[in-house]
Amino acid sequence: MTALAEARGVTRRFGSFTAVSGVDLAVSPGEVVGLLGGNGAGKTTLIRMLLGLLRPSDGDIRLFGGPPGRAARKRVGYVPQSLGLYEGLTVAENWSFTTAAFGRAGVPVPDRIAPWARDLVGGLPLGAQRQVAFAVVLSHQPELLVLDEPTSGTGPLASARLWEDIRAAADGGAGILVTTHNMEEARQCDRLVVMAGGRVAASGTAEAIAGPAADLEEAFVEIVTRSGSRPAGA
Amino acid sequence: MWAMIAKEFRELRRDRRTVAMMIVLPVLLLVVFGYAANFKVSDIPVVATGPQAGQAASLLPAPTFKVTEIDPHASEAQAETRLRNGTATIAIVTGGARPLLLMDGTELFSVQSAQGALSRLSPPGGMSPRVKILYNPHLTTSWVMVPGIAGLILVFIGTLITSLGVVRERQSGTLEQLAVMPFRAWDVIAGKIAPYLLLAAVDLAFIIAVGMGLFHVPFTGNVGVFVLGAALFLLVTTGMGVLISTVSQSQGQAIQLAFMTLLPQVLLSGLIFPVSAMAAGVRWISYILPLTYFIQISRGVMLKNAPLSSLWPPIGLLAVLAVVVLGLAIVRFRRDLAAGGGS
Repeated sequence: MTALAEARGVTRRFGSFTAVSGVDLAVSPGEVVGLLGGNGAGKTTLIRMLLGLLRPSDGDIRLFGGPPGRAARKRVGYVPQSLGLYEGLTVAENWSFTTAAFGRAGVPVPDRIAPWARDLVGGLPLGAQRQVAFAVVLSHQPELLVLDEPTSGTGPLASARLWEDIRAAADGGAGILVTTHNMEEARQCDRLVVMAGGRVAASGTAEAIAGPAADLEEAFVEIVTRSGSRPAGA
Repeated sequence: MWAMIAKEFRELRRDRRTVAMMIVLPVLLLVVFGYAANFKVSDIPVVATGPQAGQAASLLPAPTFKVTEIDPHASEAQAETRLRNGTATIAIVTGGARPLLLMDGTELFSVQSAQGALSRLSPPGGMSPRVKILYNPHLTTSWVMVPGIAGLILVFIGTLITSLGVVRERQSGTLEQLAVMPFRAWDVIAGKIAPYLLLAAVDLAFIIAVGMGLFHVPFTGNVGVFVLGAALFLLVTTGMGVLISTVSQSQGQAIQLAFMTLLPQVLLSGLIFPVSAMAAGVRWISYILPLTYFIQISRGVMLKNAPLSSLWPPIGLLAVLAVVVLGLAIVRFRRDLAAGGGS
């Protein structure tokens, strides 16, 4: 199966500092890939390269089999940690802007966020904002979803709902790359890639990474510590 | 308390931009504006025409007057053209029974200084010249200020409001979102500045209408020429706003920088003090400020009925500034956008 997004031996240097070093990663349709790592592990740099926001110093990035250009971006949905919503606009106005940007103007606001349609995004609680951001990013039915800490700052109920949505999107055929610090959430991914010091320190299913002790958090700390990095944020 | 004071000084020491604002900028402004702010105008550009042009010109005392041209063959109409073009503030037309002094009433301080200097002169043969103040016969201050203030307000909107709008986009993280949307960089730039351009244009029309209605400022010239000059000026100021946003990490920094561009335009553009009266060391600053040229255009069109042929130098220079400033702004903004909003 052709990968939706693929990094092959990707390295990114900033001056003498190497943020990402020789990373291989692929996201296929219908799978949820979790990207785990402490602060400074290189997750965000890798995501930015996959989205075409940063050029790799070495290696190759492929998005839908080609370079990550404007045409490829039409098929991608991205929710940054800051959500990327306009807080001074209402939910309906944010929806209208994004659908128009992706050439789908006129698509009605989905029922699940319709109750907030007239509310300013900035006035909504963070959990609701994240639900809005997720609904908005699905408005153009992207084939690849990139979610940076999608449940950060939300309560357990909102997190559970978001993960239901993530799974539903994957079941619908979308490939999903999600960064998380939450080990419970990491368990819901089909595959995990653990990054430390800019390198892939481990990859596989949550069970394979957790090992016989079946404690993913402990395994994560050990992997990161073994690689010489501090497991910040874990 | 001492710990607090020490902490504050440590923070300040590392905040070079604020230290520069507090120490370097006031000294710089004092020196620059000290040389620029001059109510006593000298070197008023004069053109002398007609058969006795040379003789009349020799009577004018320096340094108040600076005869820039003596043309014995030029007529009164040609002398007036020099005033309309802005190449001279005063024209002496000889050849009639009494010499005629034409004065450009849009140059308030220059005309007042000239009147003062001329009143102290004893004309040869006791024959004092006729004086005709053109374009603003009663030397009404509001007539001169309204076209300039309109430009100043456009600087405020174009530069400050635009820069705040772009910085807000970056601070909220939405610039990164725009970078991964299927927009071309040009779509984002044009979409971002077009509303500000439109608002500023509406604002300009409103200001001019209020100026005409409330202060009875005349609009004697061609609206098309005015619109052309205003459009170019708006492109420059909006470009400055985008440029400022690309070097500002926060809205506070954008405001600081926007005011640093605003202040020189208030004092060095000819809005208050004539550019010709400024010390040569600071006058060159006037020539790189867009408001200098917009004021020449707005006063020229509104008060002097100046045609495009008279105003092509300021219009051309505004066009050059627009290309340079907007070009630089677009290049930097594209780079920001390609990097996902991080500058």
